[in-house]
Amino acid sequence: MNYSFDFASVFRNFGPLWDGLLVTIELTIAANAIGLTFGFVLALLVMSRSPVVRLPVTLFIEFFRCTPAIIQIVWFFYCVPMLFNVFLGSVTMGILALGLNLAAFNAEAYRAAIQAVPREQLDAGVALGLTPFQRVFYIVLPTAVRNSIPVLLTNGIGIFQQSALVAIVAVQDLMYQGKTLATQTYRPIETFTIVALFYFAVSFPVSQIVGYLERRREALAS
Amino acid sequence: MTFNFAVVLKFQEALFLGLWMTLKLTLICIVLGCALGFLVALARTSKNAILRAASSVYVEFFRGTPVLVQLFWIFFCLPLILGVELSNMTSGVIALTLYMGAISSETFRASLKSVGREQLDACVALGLSHWARTTNVVLPQAVLRAAPTLLSNCVSLFKESALVSAVGMADLMFVGQNISNNTARPIEVLTIVALIYFVIAFPLTRAVTVIERRILKRLAL
Repeated sequence: MNYSFDFASVFRNFGPLWDGLLVTIELTIAANAIGLTFGFVLALLVMSRSPVVRLPVTLFIEFFRCTPAIIQIVWFFYCVPMLFNVFLGSVTMGILALGLNLAAFNAEAYRAAIQAVPREQLDAGVALGLTPFQRVFYIVLPTAVRNSIPVLLTNGIGIFQQSALVAIVAVQDLMYQGKTLATQTYRPIETFTIVALFYFAVSFPVSQIVGYLERRREALAS
Repeated sequence: MTFNFAVVLKFQEALFLGLWMTLKLTLICIVLGCALGFLVALARTSKNAILRAASSVYVEFFRGTPVLVQLFWIFFCLPLILGVELSNMTSGVIALTLYMGAISSETFRASLKSVGREQLDACVALGLSHWARTTNVVLPQAVLRAAPTLLSNCVSLFKESALVSAVGMADLMFVGQNISNNTARPIEVLTIVALIYFVIAFPLTRAVTVIERRILKRLAL
């Protein structure tokens, strides 16, 4: 190949990329805040005994888990303003779309962790005369939340990567800035490589932490 | 506001073509990606340090960056580097195969690890060649254990394949967005497109649960 690399042209335009990264991180943190809290509520609702509560929540969760994130985001940006006659600013819309998607995935993580708490522990709680509320708060939740941490972290970093999709609906995140810069400078190789490295530099340490937590848990279990 | 779902029916044929493209792309990349994933999983446990390092870098990089960035990179940068024009289909297949290979190699690695050390010792004792050991002893068990996760990887790939619409491939998502823009009826069109994806992905995720339960039962024997 005879292509001369010019990474300097990317570094001259570092400002927009940096701003984009900040928007991406803002999207990730806010979406995680929604995902962690709303996901937990969904998990509790999906385990409800009443089918009237359980069915719509199950449908909501499955719908977000079984359709591409890109169509959820495009749908959200086109249809929510039409249906409800509101537009909340593109970053807020992006946060809501990503947050709802993450909530559905986290709900599954919470549910799996709650159901993995051994039956005997609850029986022991009954034998000790704890009220149902105390059983949930002091026995189930601490174990369940601890067990769900690796999956929640993986989902959280997953949404960091999925957040690149909002570039398609013109939210000015890292991917959007990268795309603009690649077209302006005619330097796609350098720009997209740097953008990929930005994403990688954030994701990789988190995935290493998840790996460490999982190894430690396996070591503790055996 | 009034809904008019009949609009969508007029574009039935275009949507079918888009769906066909999505399914074709997904199936090709599942086959190629699984094969690649298995080889990479073997490379990651190889004795050769260079092979091990290269495969680790590949897997971590593809798992650590957004698929959208990978797609853009392969669509816009690979032709420049190789100096040849690649068709949309070729670029799409390369990008999604590399993604599928990376996530599946992790699945295979976990399942390979679960094949007991004793079995390998038994193979040595029986005088089996390295090749016979890999294909007749390790592979069947690894595939069986990997099956549920592989299937859910396939569902992920099916969903991620919608991203190729962003680089102009005429898949279901792309066709849907075009129709939605031309008819100015995003609610009806995009909802139907989402439902099509759902109708295919949902039964598959249920199948994952059923298969998982069966395999667990079988391995517990």
